[in-house]
Amino acid sequence: MSKQRVNLRRFMLTALGLTMSWQMSAVYADTSYPEISTLPDISYNKAKAELGKRLFFDTRLSGDAVLSCASCHDPKKGFSDGLALSNGYPGNKHFRNTPTVINAAHKKVWMHDGRLGTNLNDVTRGMLTEDYLMNMDMRIMQERIKQDPIYIKMFKEAGMGEPSNGKVRNLIPEYLKTLTSKNAPFDTGKMSDSAKKGFELFKGKAGCVQCHNGSLLSDGKAHNTGVPENLDVFLDPLRHQAFIAYSMFMGVENYMNLKRDAGAHIQLHKADGSGMGSFMTPSLRELKYTAPYMHNGMLATLADVVTFYNQGGGEDSNKSKALKPLNLSEQEQKDLVAFLESLSGDPLVGESYEWTKDDYKYEVIADWKNVPN
Amino acid sequence: MHTLKKLTLVVSGVLLSSMTCMTYAADVPPLAPLGEVPIPADNPQSDAKVELGKFLFFDNRLGGDGSVSCVSCHLPSMGWGFATPISLGYLGTTHWRNSQTIINSAYYGKLFWAGSSSSLEGQAKSAAKGGVAGNGEDDLMEARLALIPEYRKRFKEVFGDEWPLIRNAWRAIAAFERTLVQRDTPLDKFLAGDKAALTEAQQRGMAVFNGKANCIQCHNGELATDQKYYNVGVPPSPLWESTAINQITFRFENYAKGATEELYRTAKADVGFYFRTKNSWDKGKFRTPSLRYTKYTAPYMHNGTLATLTDVVDFYNRGGVTADGQTTAFPKTKTKLIKPLDLSDAEKADLVAFLDAFSGEKIMMDAPTLPEYAPLFTKTELQELKK
Repeated sequence: MSKQRVNLRRFMLTALGLTMSWQMSAVYADTSYPEISTLPDISYNKAKAELGKRLFFDTRLSGDAVLSCASCHDPKKGFSDGLALSNGYPGNKHFRNTPTVINAAHKKVWMHDGRLGTNLNDVTRGMLTEDYLMNMDMRIMQERIKQDPIYIKMFKEAGMGEPSNGKVRNLIPEYLKTLTSKNAPFDTGKMSDSAKKGFELFKGKAGCVQCHNGSLLSDGKAHNTGVPENLDVFLDPLRHQAFIAYSMFMGVENYMNLKRDAGAHIQLHKADGSGMGSFMTPSLRELKYTAPYMHNGMLATLADVVTFYNQGGGEDSNKSKALKPLNLSEQEQKDLVAFLESLSGDPLVGESYEWTKDDYKYEVIADWKNVPN
Repeated sequence: MHTLKKLTLVVSGVLLSSMTCMTYAADVPPLAPLGEVPIPADNPQSDAKVELGKFLFFDNRLGGDGSVSCVSCHLPSMGWGFATPISLGYLGTTHWRNSQTIINSAYYGKLFWAGSSSSLEGQAKSAAKGGVAGNGEDDLMEARLALIPEYRKRFKEVFGDEWPLIRNAWRAIAAFERTLVQRDTPLDKFLAGDKAALTEAQQRGMAVFNGKANCIQCHNGELATDQKYYNVGVPPSPLWESTAINQITFRFENYAKGATEELYRTAKADVGFYFRTKNSWDKGKFRTPSLRYTKYTAPYMHNGTLATLTDVVDFYNRGGVTADGQTTAFPKTKTKLIKPLDLSDAEKADLVAFLDAFSGEKIMMDAPTLPEYAPLFTKTELQELKK
């Protein structure tokens, strides 16, 4: 967006005032937000994706072999967990909501605080090795995989040679490429009338499009919307310990006394602290399966989310200026929810998406003394 | 000239072979009563520190998933070690060496079988963090301590810090371990002049120990160890060949300890001290362990391949060979000090009896009641926050 256009918009907003709300849609519609569209296709290697799938459901990829990626990213719950705050690794609990991994392959930046902005290889490494998540020493992981003849065979057949931890970090992302929205009414054009009205509100009066735009319905940036803190993060020592460890590691000042989630501040590093409490705009795809909402699960339903924004968001001195009370009618709010629901596709369950065989076993390497390790 | 010299050497070698033990014994410090435990200048003892260290030693929050603590592999009921050949590992793994007793560990200059740690403080840290041991991480463990009010109080009292520091946890544990000593064994009493402290069989065993069997050449001084590294002929653990999870850990340890690609591919036995020096002549060497408290710490050797002290004596009597003919995978580095001993059954029995004198009463300890977590803030404090 050019500077000139910003100035123009500010002028128009000031001149027209909030009472002329019908004109706001025109204002927003005029701006050049990336078009809300269907997702581009992603090509993937089938054999590698199949390997990645088996790895995704394998509990031996966590330190104590209790958790797999799917423990928190459960296909039956939209590759999320249905909880306000994630469980995390045994011995502690987590301090944020589990995001779905559906469409993660389309993203450019990951995590609620946006701390990972390179690629899914790094995201995979981060999730596996983080002590409050899967606490995996990847050197042990590599040797576990080499002890499972099914992996040995699959790696060979996929042209991957010998299993290694580096290859695992490439294979799980290959599987994630298969987890994209399928047949969402928005994409197929089979939206209800209510959803169509909601789409217009989304782009217009409600102004959601300011941040939720593009094919993922996310600008990939951090904003402060004033979501209230989830006090369980601080009142449950099992969650608080993970939060402290995370804040310590991220270099947040005074982390022991912190009573709020710093969010994207940890990567924005704004000197005036104005990034405190901002979080990455989430994609709005597949929300039907991934309640509760927001980075800390504080809003239970999509209706609650719409109500929250209709009020102009929550309270925070750093709150985005884009948020104002919307004065949406009951019907308009329902239409918005209908639109949001039209962004969810078929559930990604069954053998195409899940490793359903219980075939995770180690086998003794025969003639061990005479074969190379 | 050459021939004559060789002949002389051979002849004198044969003649002297029964005397070599005497020669070596003269060069080494004799067995002695165990002195005061050494305390490092940078971690002085205090009752409060020891008490804190005891809590922490038993606290499974000093590990990855809250399932293991120091005591998990160093159980008082198992001689402050673990009674399987290879120690228990972190959940989902196995360890790869035998768990050593904590008793008298404060006297060692270096810890672990290959001496990879130079202090008890460092050992506690390595054990709590190792992937097949505690699998804990500093940041999370430190955060856990901060959320236990009793620990906040005790750490502040002992170390003066506002918040517990994880490095001070290792110092407290080390201080506790420095109280786990045994200085009143039958041997200590005997060496202090109480001639009735050892039975006649034990006294005969002591003579074999110092003489014909020449155990004293390595097991000498007050701790009954020279703390040096030898390959005495211990064979590889049979678990490497028979058990999948052990094969995983075996490769992991080589990988993690920085083995070369070639070593990683070809290693079929624990190279031990070589991991530290990277000198080929150190392959398969391990630190001479103390013989103190060994009555309670079966099985024996770095990989627990010998089940009883009788087996150990038989092993050395055969010249570093097990009952089924197994020996080291690194014959080139095997010490020349180990040779068949030709001990009679009576001598072996006396030697085993004497080994018993290195241990006093069994040291038992009940687990303390651990302090609990509590929220750091009240709900009101959290609600009053202005954002």
